[in-house]
Amino acid sequence: MDSRGRVIGCGGAANAALVLLLLSMLSRMSALSVTVSDVECVYEYVFYDGDTVSGNFVVDDQAYWSSDHSGVDFTVTAPGGSTVHTLKGTSGDKFEFKAPANGMYKFCFHNPSSTPETVSFNIHTGHIPSEHDLAKDGLSDPFVLFCINIWTPINVKIAELREALETVTLEQRYLKARDARHRHTNESTRRRVIFYTVGEYLLLALVSGLQVVLIRRLFSKSVAYNRV
Amino acid sequence: MNIQIQGQSVCLLLVSILLLWTGVECLRFDLEPGHTKCIAEDIKSNSMTVGKYQIVNLNEGQPLPDSHKISVRVTSSYGNSYHHSDNVNEGHFAFHAVEAGDYMACFTAADHKPSTTITIDFDWKSGVAAKDWTNVAKKGSVELMELELKKMFDTVQSIHDEMFYLREREEEMQQLNTSTNSKMAWLSFLSLFVSLSVAGLQLWHLKSFFQKKKLI
Repeated sequence: MDSRGRVIGCGGAANAALVLLLLSMLSRMSALSVTVSDVECVYEYVFYDGDTVSGNFVVDDQAYWSSDHSGVDFTVTAPGGSTVHTLKGTSGDKFEFKAPANGMYKFCFHNPSSTPETVSFNIHTGHIPSEHDLAKDGLSDPFVLFCINIWTPINVKIAELREALETVTLEQRYLKARDARHRHTNESTRRRVIFYTVGEYLLLALVSGLQVVLIRRLFSKSVAYNRV
Repeated sequence: MNIQIQGQSVCLLLVSILLLWTGVECLRFDLEPGHTKCIAEDIKSNSMTVGKYQIVNLNEGQPLPDSHKISVRVTSSYGNSYHHSDNVNEGHFAFHAVEAGDYMACFTAADHKPSTTITIDFDWKSGVAAKDWTNVAKKGSVELMELELKKMFDTVQSIHDEMFYLREREEEMQQLNTSTNSKMAWLSFLSLFVSLSVAGLQLWHLKSFFQKKKLI
């Protein structure tokens, strides 16, 4: 009786451990790129208030005429409707904020210029579990908590470690996107150097040929006889 | 002691089983009927990629209207199509990416009369996140923490590989810039040469022309 009761008690502890584990797994990362013509919004669900939402985005505007480097505007709207974070006219930045409430958050990119631009973004919502989560879920049986306590500190540390690794991965993706944009610019410079120079030569040859033809016509027999 | 250990194994078993629980919340976006939205992701070669998409039913009780259908196409940057489905509510795709580069998943909403915006849930994972941990978990009695640490080890490996990749790209860019620089130097000398030779040719041709005409 007694031992069975204990096992069932630890079965309840299993549920709590499960909840704790699921909480620690609720960190998500999305790394994608979209083409923004006017406004593009993505939604991401944040499970707990107090979670840190971090991310970055890089704008690759393929228009290399220098007047059009206006970038995009970035807005984050909380589920209540309030604006949590805004960035105007940037061509790429990192952001991080503590989510004031749980729910569906809206991340919007607005492109003020007429040319469509490609935005590569990464958004990560991370959660580090703590005993408060257990208390919130109504699990306060002391025996259950005793069963859990053998794991909780390690689980929290593991969750923190995972969050740190995700931060590093986010940063890497940001660097990769910036590198890609830089590469596009360099390749475009190279193409321009070659094409414009060759075009310049052809134009020069054409113009001088035209000049010679005009001068020859000027001095042609029918005209020159009377003039020169 | 004995009882506690037994309880622990029950905990571990339950938790390991429910580790396979995947969250349903994913990246979400809106799609207007008749429009196409494309989402691209940069995937390395020889990595697994898994995607799942479904139309979100905003009215909880009622079934989805029949006109809410989407067509999905997943293509690589070279134009090869890896997944293709028309007029579905939901679906998933998984493939092994042989070519590295930008893979595009394009969603097209069928044009329907009450033009309401469709909300689509889309979850796209590749590389470490796409790895199927169920097989690893079933082999023997893999402890929960061991699994977590294995996952983290894989993540660290992928970070390391990514560093190498970034280093290589930087090397390529350096070479590109150096060659552009030297090309510019050569081309400017060449342009000087071309303009001088064109002027010289002009002069010689006109001189011989006027001499023929007995004007000089």
